[in-house]
Amino acid sequence: MSAGRRLALAAACLCWLTAAAPACAQGLPLPAPGTYKLDRIFRAPFGVTSEGGMWPHLLSRDTEGAITLLSFFYTQCVDPLGCPLAWEAFGAVRAALQKRPALAARTRLAFYSFDPAHDGPALQLFAASYSAGAPPVWRFITGWNDFFMRRTLSHFGQEISPARNGDDGRVVIDHMLKVFLIDRAGWVREIYTTGFLDPKAILGDIETLALEEERARP
Amino acid sequence: MKRQKMVPSMLRAGVVALSLWGAGARADETCLSPYTAALIRGQEKYLQVWTLGVKGMGDESDKLVTVNVDPKSPDYGKVVATLSVGGRGEAHHMGFTDDRKYLWAGRLDDNKIFVFDVGTDPGKPKLVKTIDDLVPKSGFVGPHTFYALPGRMIVGALSNAKDHGGATGLAVYSNAGEFLSAHPLPTTDGGDGYGYDIGINPQKNAMLTSSFTGWNNYMMDFGKLVADPAAMKNFGATMVMWNLKSMQPDKVFSVPGAPLEIRWSLKDGDDWAITATALTSQLWLVKKDDKGAWVAKDVAAIGDPAKIPLPVDISIAADGKSLWVNTFMDGMTRLFDLNNPEQPKEIYSKHTGSQVNMVSQSWDGKRVYVTTSLLANWDKKGADDEQFLKAFDWNGKELTEKFKIDFYGLKLGRAHHMKFTGEAQKAASVAPTRL
Repeated sequence: MSAGRRLALAAACLCWLTAAAPACAQGLPLPAPGTYKLDRIFRAPFGVTSEGGMWPHLLSRDTEGAITLLSFFYTQCVDPLGCPLAWEAFGAVRAALQKRPALAARTRLAFYSFDPAHDGPALQLFAASYSAGAPPVWRFITGWNDFFMRRTLSHFGQEISPARNGDDGRVVIDHMLKVFLIDRAGWVREIYTTGFLDPKAILGDIETLALEEERARP
Repeated sequence: MKRQKMVPSMLRAGVVALSLWGAGARADETCLSPYTAALIRGQEKYLQVWTLGVKGMGDESDKLVTVNVDPKSPDYGKVVATLSVGGRGEAHHMGFTDDRKYLWAGRLDDNKIFVFDVGTDPGKPKLVKTIDDLVPKSGFVGPHTFYALPGRMIVGALSNAKDHGGATGLAVYSNAGEFLSAHPLPTTDGGDGYGYDIGINPQKNAMLTSSFTGWNNYMMDFGKLVADPAAMKNFGATMVMWNLKSMQPDKVFSVPGAPLEIRWSLKDGDDWAITATALTSQLWLVKKDDKGAWVAKDVAAIGDPAKIPLPVDISIAADGKSLWVNTFMDGMTRLFDLNNPEQPKEIYSKHTGSQVNMVSQSWDGKRVYVTTSLLANWDKKGADDEQFLKAFDWNGKELTEKFKIDFYGLKLGRAHHMKFTGEAQKAASVAPTRL
């Protein structure tokens, strides 16, 4: 993808974020929530995580029991189409969900850092700042140790390069932006990349999973 | 809250720290799924050729042949690895997973799908999985097109298990090789149910499919087929625009004559795709009309349609301004000017073999590769049954042959689909995707 197309893509995303009308791309309309199915792509793995404190947690705490939007990130990332774009998309999804409390209460946002050396202490600060608002909850986690982090990344197909120092002294970890939508049972049901990180599509998928849950109830 | 303010400010300031890794991850290669990572913008190192085994030749097995195509290598133009998979099942097309670590390759007759690891050592691929549940899981036959979605692979089929005719569909697998879902091609509202290629435009939530023919025809001797009027009626004559998110057909276009490969223009701002019809020898354009409705229209003839040159593979330039077209029967490699996609014009042609099928160009358009086999029973007979890989340089005016590998001379078989690979993906700090 050329730089022009990347910027156009970013503009399209920002267009959605700043305007009421979502039809920036003028493509085929997104289907109404609940009118389509999302495949069960793979199950979120077993893992052990840290939220920056002393105690470990199971990854399933953040991948089961609610509809979860999960992305891998690191706080020093400044690639505008990397972590910041995920951050913007999550922010847009969160803002939209906050207008729909019932759906928000069934949804969780999660950022998983693959730079625990720098992000460990920051996770608790992020968690504190983002838990102050209305649901959905926004969790900030990392691997309990290097073994669990690499195992989790591998299972999700989230590749990262070895860390290196950028020109401005920041840590740079090259990676492909991926965002995972996980259902209440822990199945990954959709994967969004930069080319298709549309908050409106994500919201439609979240609502589709919620409707699926309701239909499955006896 | 500090972080919330910082990120948008970075966006507004246009801080660009795109890594090569990240840039590649989001790029389109001219004929790959837009979700495919690690675009090769420079010199490709290897070319993998999915090759049909021939009875009485070498080990007789279908095989993945790896050729070194790096001019700086002492092995340039040489076969550096062959990986036989056993048996002959009509080896045909291949496609990368979204992470470009794995190459899926299908066989149209026995319906097996082979998954090769080409990320760890592209110069020496390894077979890591064989998928053999397409028919029982989906009812489809003839795994043809392999088109990556994030974490998944769409397998476009050609036929079905009930009557081996052309009605078929799309099967979706996880990257781990687990069957996920089946999506029949439409047979109502003008649909004929036939399938062939897939082309996705994520920004438009759009997926296009094209249509060829079923097992009964593609496994039949070509001479016998063309002499059978009833069989000749059993070819696809449609393209379908799908809603990508719902995986539901949105609109069926009438495109007579078996529309095959689909190429969306990759030029920024372009909003069209092009295909070639095998039997009617025409280029068709799919784009929006003045009212914003998607339409398909016949925009140019390829060669002399009356002579049935049989257009097969096409390869679009990265800037969307030109298109290579191979015509099988006359062995021509043709270049069309697409500056006005409504009126493509042939601007160059060269006889590259007695029969030519696949054509692949590098991202910069400076190198063009050609192979020969169409289908085992459709390839020419006798001396005209050349089987080779030819590499050409393109200087904007002339194709100059750099090397030729005689696949029969090396007892390899029939050379079909090609894919480029680059350096080993050594930068990854995590293990390959589980299989």
